[in-house]
Amino acid sequence: MRRWCQETGVLVMTIAALGGLLVSCSAENSPSASSTTESIAGTDADANGVRDDVDRYIDQTYADQASADLNKAVRQYAKAVQSSLLDADSPPLSLTHATERFRALECLMARRPSEFHRIFVDVRAQLLNTANRSEAYLKADDHVKTQTIPLLPADQWVTACQS
Amino acid sequence: MSVVSRKLSRVLWLIVLVGAGWCPDSFAQVQPQSACQIATAPRTAIYFVNGVTTTLDEARLNGGKLELEFLNKLPTMAPSVQAMCHLFFLNINPTAGAVTDFLEAGQQRLGLTSTAVWTGLEGFGLVTSGAIVQVLQRPLTNADQIDQATITRHAAAYREQIAAPSCRRVLVVPHSQGNLYSNASFDNVFSQTPNPPVGTLKIVGVATPADTVRGNGLYRTSSTDLLIEGIRRVLPGTLPPNTNWSFSPLLLSPTYSGGHSFIGYLTAEPSRTQILMDMESSLVALASVNPC
Repeated sequence: MRRWCQETGVLVMTIAALGGLLVSCSAENSPSASSTTESIAGTDADANGVRDDVDRYIDQTYADQASADLNKAVRQYAKAVQSSLLDADSPPLSLTHATERFRALECLMARRPSEFHRIFVDVRAQLLNTANRSEAYLKADDHVKTQTIPLLPADQWVTACQS
Repeated sequence: MSVVSRKLSRVLWLIVLVGAGWCPDSFAQVQPQSACQIATAPRTAIYFVNGVTTTLDEARLNGGKLELEFLNKLPTMAPSVQAMCHLFFLNINPTAGAVTDFLEAGQQRLGLTSTAVWTGLEGFGLVTSGAIVQVLQRPLTNADQIDQATITRHAAAYREQIAAPSCRRVLVVPHSQGNLYSNASFDNVFSQTPNPPVGTLKIVGVATPADTVRGNGLYRTSSTDLLIEGIRRVLPGTLPPNTNWSFSPLLLSPTYSGGHSFIGYLTAEPSRTQILMDMESSLVALASVNPC
């Protein structure tokens, strides 16, 4: 039995290591969505507060009817991040937008309590796809690092959803 | 049993093991805590303190995950814990500078795209890279890398919760570098007069790079946590691992594969259950203390 466990453990860990390596490599080699010269704002042709490439990502990733609520929740977060990037030079606006991001994340947690982190990681990677957007995001965070942003309790998270 | 049957059995067991760890927990819509409807019920303040590569958004999600898992387990916890109203807060450890270092190291030294860095912020590839380990180890191994203003701010928040009119017990759940801040804040709280009653502040550490948990607090560090294992090589006094993520498929994911993610600790078993048990026993101890 012990040997079975050892062999199985080694097998699982080997698969894990190889799988992790493959996934990591594929992520590292994936083409950048935007060039480094692209502006922080990017293109928002429909003026909905979300870059068009991110709009496309959200609509393609959460296209089915069962994901309609998630589509809206992710877009709410994307809009709040875009505002944070555009106003990253302003400490008071950074606090306003950080609060909007918290409400959007609470909505996301209410909609998908078991999957929210993976969804967040993926959409944030889309939003911060260039160095200057990443720097703006961190700059906005830096303005509010000593502030206390009120949190909604879990039973009220759903009220943070804008639609 | 034939060789083929044995192999088939092993594969089926693997699928069961992996499936058990991968299937997301099902949550019903979160209901208000019954104790919070009673004005006279004792209150506790549960704080999450984030680690070194955690942005504001991740800190919110980590705190949310802690709240969800705790509330999901609350109906089966001790009566004295259920009798208290638990309020959740964040004490932010400002790590934007470290994330900037991390981003620069990932892009410049490893040639990663921004998207790849954000996707794998806590993952195996970055955590084990020599360049990144240097960036992460500096704030985790040097006490002078934690700033006094943050310690004072955190300690003031705990003191305010404990003092009248709030009169709340405080449980702090720090992750990673947050453990260094929590230990220092604990010392700060009890080094000032008037001293709060002993036992009104407890810590349950997660993935700690420290060699102690103040106030005889509990902690959980996974044997699969590559970052803390790296810290332990530099600082052998680092608290030893006392939990793990078993064969969790999270270890396959670029986001969680370093075994250090707070969300991972609260998703994989047995670390999730053990952290919640540590919280429960700490809250039982807190329930026996009157802060005011």
